[in-house]
Amino acid sequence: MDSASIQFVLFGLATALISNVSRSRSWRSMVLFLASIIFLAFLSHYPLAFVPLAGFLLLGYGGLLVVGRAGSRWLVASVLTVIFAYAWLKKYTVLPEAIFLQFPYLTVGLSYIFFRVLHLIIDTGGGERQHLGPGAYLLYMLNFTTLVSGPIQRYEDFSRDQFAAEPIELGPRVVGLQLERIVRGFFKVNILAMLLHALQEDAVAQLVQPSPPALKVYAAVRLAVVYPFFLYANFSGYIDIVIAMARLMRLRLPENFNRPFSASSVLDFWNQWHMTLSNWLKTYVYNPLLIALMRRISAVEMEPLLGVFCFFVTFFLIGIWHGRTSEFIMFGFLTGSGMSINKLWQLGLIRAKGRKGYRALAMNPAYVSFGRGLNYAWFSFTLFWFWSDWAQIGRIYQALPAFEWLGVWLTVCVAVTVVLASWERLRAALLSIKSAQGPVLTSRYARVIYASALALTAFVVSILLNQPAPDIVYKAF
Amino acid sequence: MNLPTDVKPASGAEGKMARRDWILLPFLALLTITLISVCAELVARRTFSESATSLESCLVLTDPASGVRGIPNSVCWEKSPESPLVEYRLDGAGYRSGMEYGPKSPGTYRIVMIGSSLAMGERVPFEGTLAALLPVELSRRSARKIELYNEAMAYGFARNAALRFQDALRAQPDLILWVLTPLDVERAGFTYVKDSFNKPAASDSPIASLKNAILKGIRERGGSIVVGNALRHWLYEFQSQRQYIRSFLLNRPDEGEAGFLKGQLSPQWQAHVSEFDSYAADIEQQAKAAGVPFVATFAPNRVQAAMISLGEWPPGFDPYQLDRTLRSIVTSHGGTYIDILPDFRTLLGPEHLYYPLDGHPDAQGQAVLAELLAKQLAGGAIPELKASTSSMAGSSQRN
Repeated sequence: MDSASIQFVLFGLATALISNVSRSRSWRSMVLFLASIIFLAFLSHYPLAFVPLAGFLLLGYGGLLVVGRAGSRWLVASVLTVIFAYAWLKKYTVLPEAIFLQFPYLTVGLSYIFFRVLHLIIDTGGGERQHLGPGAYLLYMLNFTTLVSGPIQRYEDFSRDQFAAEPIELGPRVVGLQLERIVRGFFKVNILAMLLHALQEDAVAQLVQPSPPALKVYAAVRLAVVYPFFLYANFSGYIDIVIAMARLMRLRLPENFNRPFSASSVLDFWNQWHMTLSNWLKTYVYNPLLIALMRRISAVEMEPLLGVFCFFVTFFLIGIWHGRTSEFIMFGFLTGSGMSINKLWQLGLIRAKGRKGYRALAMNPAYVSFGRGLNYAWFSFTLFWFWSDWAQIGRIYQALPAFEWLGVWLTVCVAVTVVLASWERLRAALLSIKSAQGPVLTSRYARVIYASALALTAFVVSILLNQPAPDIVYKAF
Repeated sequence: MNLPTDVKPASGAEGKMARRDWILLPFLALLTITLISVCAELVARRTFSESATSLESCLVLTDPASGVRGIPNSVCWEKSPESPLVEYRLDGAGYRSGMEYGPKSPGTYRIVMIGSSLAMGERVPFEGTLAALLPVELSRRSARKIELYNEAMAYGFARNAALRFQDALRAQPDLILWVLTPLDVERAGFTYVKDSFNKPAASDSPIASLKNAILKGIRERGGSIVVGNALRHWLYEFQSQRQYIRSFLLNRPDEGEAGFLKGQLSPQWQAHVSEFDSYAADIEQQAKAAGVPFVATFAPNRVQAAMISLGEWPPGFDPYQLDRTLRSIVTSHGGTYIDILPDFRTLLGPEHLYYPLDGHPDAQGQAVLAELLAKQLAGGAIPELKASTSSMAGSSQRN
């Protein structure tokens, strides 16, 4: 059962339906647990493949118990053990190959379980949580709506909804909204992302195969423009589906995207893109690191620079979390650098113009529009190390001389600036058409119309192409 | 556009749906779906029209003695959904030869081409076909006058080619060129049965079975739905090479269009090959007896061309397998085999040279095939056609 396939959607809807047979928390928990086990069983037919995952879960629970009983004394050791076990199971290339397990095993969802385990251990070590039973632990870890690619939900939020004596409301309006969101997500993953992926693959082929220089420049522009949109459609579409499914099971998952391409700086972008990941790292890496550094370096004038450094470390870690190869180290380096440089630029502007002047500039539509374009181009540039490998990147960059690449990135920056600015204006204009109940475009009638159109298109195209649902990119991490 | 997708816990009238909405919302959904479907179908019918007449009205399809053959001096027109309106004008011998059948003029080198629909130039106006382009290109390369008499015929697979082979010999050829496709092997012993090419795709998935049942029901009641094919055409054109190969190989059963792409031919395909071998032996023996040089070549189908161009394919597949098998068959009977498949490695997106649904090469595809064949034929495979030094220089300058 592929993520975001029609089978997955039907499975989720069936689970939601059964889950709602009773409002009792034990019934809903049992249904969620059984559904998660069935979902896991679809991922591999070999029992041995589950053993490392089970071992990791056990290790996490062991760490949780130790930290819960012995307090923060064992916190660092537990955290380091979990990090090592994760790197070992994910076969990070920094570790010697000889120590890796030599049989095929399941790593799907491991990265997200890793975050949840660390979150539990760290919070328990900080004295913020009471004892957690093995049932609740497993349910939280294996919840099939968050297992494969997040979103990363905090345990408190999970337990608030899942174990509530009186579950949250689920009226016809909520059901309608969730069904519409599932349709939207399914369309994004199966149609939009599929078409964008085709454009990306064709652009790569045109760049690395013999073709006229003008076509290569055009292919390079297409490649740079298309991939971030593809990734967004692929990942946010999947997240739409699982958030809506979970809501139908009376469980609220955190949002992972908030119109990321409307962000006008790298700093804003990471507040709107894969939000649960950046929030997790801000909570468990950025803040503790900044506090620790500020304790050691007390000079007030150094504080902003410490923030810059912590941004770099945090987002460098985001990069290397994505994968075990040197390409992801580069991705992390570029992401961290982007954040740090953006922060330095912000500090420099504040120093030069004062806070008021900076705020005025940040509100300037031209500055905001150009910031969007620049952020998009930068994100697209960093993503080359995300979707490709060194050999392919080499071939792609050798396809054009350096000055033409410069032209390509400038073109991308300008084109995206114009397109996104136009889109923002159009969106604002459309949302300004209002009835007594609010914007016409967000009314239930408009939603039904476009959800029906998207559902029809997605259904027909899926049936006609009859191909497997595209992989969710973040499933691999 | 991001829209709010959750609502606060229901409170009062805000959380409830008005009674009229229980009727209005499903009606709106139904109306949207109906409107889009009807509009899409109307647009598709305009752009994907099909002519009432077809090539088959110029053919005698069920004569057991001669197999499928053309009606002498007949003219017919056909527009398939993906192709332009094409005229098929058959000569006095019933072939789409494009030249008057008669004695050779002195100094002219005559090639007689045999094969099936691809070699006949189906779906392409005559002036864009292999038969029209190849002699021009060969004459340019070899600096001698080449004419090509096209005796290829729709459904002219191996058995039919063997049945009509005496026609080829009667045309006093200096060379016989057999242009093969995967279908020439798969349908080697073909005898015409109406609609034998239109069987529904076999599938064991419940969704595909449901789809087939729905489509059958609609066809029986209201004629065929064009929008499905129009969408498939567009999607196949839009897919990247990798996506296309992946979905094609996944969806096609082992036999048929993808069966010959397996690294190890299945028993069914081995049987097809064996049947083809017996007809090839018969044809080549007749050519040998008449003292006419015999050359065969193999033109890939759409997915095979894409696989070769991409240069990678899933484990268990090999797009060159059938090519190698045919080479060994043709050469074992004394013929010459020219291999154009490796040249597809250098083509960017060769799958776009074919009609995506129909599978025949379009005019551009026919032109590329003519170019590749001329290159091989003039490249030394046939000494009489070997490119002269001056034309080679001209060719390389042009390239």
